Amino acid sequence: MGSVSGQSPGLTPALADVVLARVLRHGGDYAEIFAEDRSSLSVRLDDRRLEEVSSGVDRGASIRLVKGPTTSCGYVDALDEGSLIGLADRLSAGVSGGPLLPVSLNALQPLPRRQAGGDPAAMPAPVKADMLRAVDAAARGRSAEVRQVAAGYSESRQRIWVAGSRGVFAHDDRTRMVLSVNVVAQRGDVIQTGRETLSGTTGFGLFEDGSPVLAALEATEKALVMLESRPAPSGRMPVVLANGFGGVLFHEACGHGLEADYIVKKTSIWEGKRGTRVAEPFVTALDDGVTPGLWGSNSIDDEGTNTEATVVIEEGVLTGYLTDLLRGERLGMASTGNGRRQGFRHLPYPRMTNAYFAAGAVTVADLIADTPRAFYAKSLSGGQVDPATGDFVFGVSEGYLIEGGRVGPAVRGATLIGNGAEVLRSIDAIADDLVVKAGMCGKEGQAVPVGTGQPTLRIRELTVGGTAV
Amino acid sequence: MGRSDPADLVVVGRDVLRRGKRFPGCLEVFVEHSETTSIKAYQGEVESLVTATPRGLGVRYVEGSRCGYAYTGDFSSSGLDLVVSMAVSNAAVSDADESVALPEAPSAYPEIPGLWRPALLDTPMEKKIDLALEAERVALASPHIETVEESSYVDQASRVAILSSRGVEVYGGQTFCYVYLSAHARSGDEVQTGLGFETGREPSELDASAAGREAARKAAALLGARPHPTGRYTVVLDREVAAAVIGIAAQALSADAVQKGRSLFAGRVGQRVAADAFTLVDDGLHRDGMETAPFDDEGVPRGITPLVENGLLRGFLHDTRTAARAGGGVRSTGNARRAGYRSSPGVSPSNLVLTPGQGTLSDLVARVESGVYIVGITGLHSGANPVTGEFSVGAFGHVIEGGAIGTPVREITIASDLVSLLTNVSDSAGDVRWIPFHGSVSTPSLAILDVTVAGS
Repeated sequence: MGSVSGQSPGLTPALADVVLARVLRHGGDYAEIFAEDRSSLSVRLDDRRLEEVSSGVDRGASIRLVKGPTTSCGYVDALDEGSLIGLADRLSAGVSGGPLLPVSLNALQPLPRRQAGGDPAAMPAPVKADMLRAVDAAARGRSAEVRQVAAGYSESRQRIWVAGSRGVFAHDDRTRMVLSVNVVAQRGDVIQTGRETLSGTTGFGLFEDGSPVLAALEATEKALVMLESRPAPSGRMPVVLANGFGGVLFHEACGHGLEADYIVKKTSIWEGKRGTRVAEPFVTALDDGVTPGLWGSNSIDDEGTNTEATVVIEEGVLTGYLTDLLRGERLGMASTGNGRRQGFRHLPYPRMTNAYFAAGAVTVADLIADTPRAFYAKSLSGGQVDPATGDFVFGVSEGYLIEGGRVGPAVRGATLIGNGAEVLRSIDAIADDLVVKAGMCGKEGQAVPVGTGQPTLRIRELTVGGTAV
Repeated sequence: MGRSDPADLVVVGRDVLRRGKRFPGCLEVFVEHSETTSIKAYQGEVESLVTATPRGLGVRYVEGSRCGYAYTGDFSSSGLDLVVSMAVSNAAVSDADESVALPEAPSAYPEIPGLWRPALLDTPMEKKIDLALEAERVALASPHIETVEESSYVDQASRVAILSSRGVEVYGGQTFCYVYLSAHARSGDEVQTGLGFETGREPSELDASAAGREAARKAAALLGARPHPTGRYTVVLDREVAAAVIGIAAQALSADAVQKGRSLFAGRVGQRVAADAFTLVDDGLHRDGMETAPFDDEGVPRGITPLVENGLLRGFLHDTRTAARAGGGVRSTGNARRAGYRSSPGVSPSNLVLTPGQGTLSDLVARVESGVYIVGITGLHSGANPVTGEFSVGAFGHVIEGGAIGTPVREITIASDLVSLLTNVSDSAGDVRWIPFHGSVSTPSLAILDVTVAGS
């Protein structure tokens, strides 16, 4: 048995019409129903054992009612008419005034389900279990210094229906899969870890051609390389950030501050900076929620707006913010398709989708050869920013020193710290090797899938926080 | 489902057990139902108000040392049948593990009065809204504060029932609420932020203006902050920062991490892992703790477990599975924890309590004489690794000079390794506070020798 395929009919336009009229009967500026039916499966292997197989169903809806500055919201663990009307009545009781008549909803055209290479839920769970056993064997087979392997596989299918009182009725059907490998390697007293993930939004074909075993070998390689490492240096120095997960730089140092909730409240360093130069002319950055196959892409956002690609920095000039419906209205902007939520128990916020720096012109080899001395962050473990100050940090899980234009010894235990506005200005080279990787962003305590990416790039100077003085 | 009758949860649980009877293995059901309110205030208005009564249940099925898990929010007859059959078929896919077993029913549970306060549900919404508004108002009235990005009041009254075919049948309830805000201080082009919070079991225990003052004071104190010269210093970790360090170290005190080779404390029971003055206890029964409960998330009585005593490692935290794996009469310490009904139990601390030292924070700073006082850290999840012990995070705070707290510093990192951090604790204050951000931790401010600070 895999995920559950107990299909609910979801939300129909006819039912949504009734519920929206009910929630707006004592007034309001806007009302919306967000209905969700999600089935999930996770399989975990640890310590050579297939330790846990878990599956479940989340089915429910939330309604929000916006009036003036206030959003009232509630949710129920059900999608039936009685539950939705009960919720609508409870919310409408909190406002007073004449009714607002919602725009009647039309039947929607269902979107084709994007599914290249097979529905993961149709694959038997033992196939997924065997995939993890192969991952374990590959990592342990690579080196006797591998002490422990944990591997996980998870899949979810989320179907959503959004009905808004201004005539929006939209549906999306989203499948996501993640395979993760965590390796612990030990030599003497030194213990190191390596992690690799493989994520996709299309079909189970992602895991064919031996890709799980490759991921296992890459995670193992990281841990083994770090066994050879010395303590990272500390102090200010040039930094080269590798492609892929290096995009955490854009996500933390810049992206969050472009989210419109911070702009509306004037708590972002980028507020009022549209049209100004924020980086060198060879720096361009996008938030792209629409390109199929990218981890953070969807057909629509969680407010029913079509996703799009927004250029946020064009040739060094700040050009755009990322917004949902509510904040867009306050800024006089249309939604950019960035209204996102973890699920029906959460309110939507402006969130990035896939945010990345566009590719530059030089090759990575040339960029590194042109660097006399730098800290080279090959792989990052995540980060954090305070959008109000722009101060950010990120952890380095795989780092090296560049000496005389060549990648030298591995170093461990470093965090990079800097300021978003300063670091954008001090990007002095961008290579041509753009890669977008999958991650999860936890703003407002809500986990949503985001892509982070960049080509390899160099920063003139940043503070590296190792232990070696 | 009604608010007042926890027996409803037991009825659902019994129904699930009955549906599981046709399968040969053992079944456990964890049923959860809560009422929650979440209010955000902004510029004197309610920005958002969310109220809901979420519910759900999780089923663990064990047959022949194989375990399967499933969850649902659908309490209809077909929903309950489906969740049971999913758990059963999931078990068939997993590998056998002799240490997998559901706990037996205990002879008794501890009595802990005061966890459920009807006053939380009876407090009118206007009063709750006022708490969020008051925190914002007080912060905005403070020097240098320009805006409060968000001021929140959140509460939850949650009921849990755990039943199993091995005879466990227990239920309980808890209420919990907090006020939380982030204030922004400005001076010219410079902005600094500060957090304030208050936690309690009912709204009357929350001093919203104290939270507002705290956020304002912390933000304004950082105005003018600059990087600090790179070097090795004695640092004083504020209680909030100390709680983060203890929360990370405690991940390595889980028997699951130890048994799977993911703990830097493996094989070190009886050895020195911290300074003499360092005594850490996991206290699941502490009357002020936020994780206090009569039973853990698989129905085992919570308890009190010494972890580090005068710097010597005393033991690890267990759930039923890790205790069985350890053998030799080891019993669960009542530390099974779930992230909610969607997840199966795993080992996690309850309330971590660090024995305090002497005097106020000022006294501690005076004793330290010179160094750096760290009031906040960033990037903990990406910069601290409980497996390797590596620790490097962003930080901000103040210079300590002449035995007093001096000018503010920012854009620095502090780096060490977890064992060195614990063994280099040289002194602590008596200023304990419960910190809710990294589990539930009660700790004083700590002085730690020889920490690398990277800055200018």
